[in-house]
Amino acid sequence: MSNAFFLFNCQQATLLLERRADERLSAPTRVQLWAHLKLCPLCRRYEAQSRLLARQARPAAEAPVPDTLQLPAAARRRLQQLVDAHAGGPGSDNHA
Amino acid sequence: MDNVDKALLATPVTAPEPRQWPARFGDELYRFALGRVTDAVAAEELVQETFVSALAALPSFRGQASERTWLFAILKRKIIDHYRRQARSPFVSLASAADEEAPESRFFHARGGHWREEEYPTDWEVGSEEGRGDVLLEQQEFHAILQRCQQRLPPQQLAVFVLRFVEELPAEDICQELRITPSNYWVIVHRAKLQLRRCLEKNWFQDPAAAKAKK
Ligand SMILES: [Zn+2]
Repeated sequence: MSNAFFLFNCQQATLLLERRADERLSAPTRVQLWAHLKLCPLCRRYEAQSRLLARQARPAAEAPVPDTLQLPAAARRRLQQLVDAHAGGPGSDNHA
Repeated sequence: MDNVDKALLATPVTAPEPRQWPARFGDELYRFALGRVTDAVAAEELVQETFVSALAALPSFRGQASERTWLFAILKRKIIDHYRRQARSPFVSLASAADEEAPESRFFHARGGHWREEEYPTDWEVGSEEGRGDVLLEQQEFHAILQRCQQRLPPQQLAVFVLRFVEELPAEDICQELRITPSNYWVIVHRAKLQLRRCLEKNWFQDPAAAKAKK
């Protein structure tokens, strides 16, 4: 893909796509990126895939943990000891 | 004693009850942490660190938020710390991007910067914004593979990716937390996305079983 107006290569164009998600690009940069995407189906695919990743990252972090999954018993005991030890101190349990 | 007056004014509807925390919030905090770090031991540690910090901060808890909200806010902070520690460990030196071989060269030709043929992104048929009304099972598998691919990222890329797209922190905050410049930040996001899209393509979109399941 060599074109005098084709100022960004694919590496730069895909990097700019990530930048564009966080900040406003300058007008000339926007135009050049738009032109690249118009001409380059591969970077258009990257764009769609990059968006999909951004959109799915959070649901993926929340999805794989079933509601039935519980804190292991040993860890629960340790935590209980921790809070019980603290509750022995002053300033706790003084509410009516 | 104006201390008492202040305490009365600020009396929360319900005072915190730390001894109830493991029973009331333990599982929920643990599940949340597990989704974020995918490692059971690290998740347990995060819950424990949360309780330790919460106990230390107990005098400042005024019931302006619910106990649960408050504990979750502390846990989220602990998760950020976790990734920051990992990204900044002495074994990771990507902050100066120059000293290691740039992973971009695996995806793009050194001269010209065009996609390497073997790395051409294929069509995932996800161009439309709507999620195609995917079958639930398929979504679950996709999420599981995405998580597995994520875990293969180098620590700094993983940290940036999770903080940006799971924790949804603004880019400037991530730069501060990880002490990286904005341009390094975008390079790292770019690298993470390149590796993830490749890993997903290999393990999901080109997998014959998954392709069959799609029909
Ligand atoms: Zn391109």
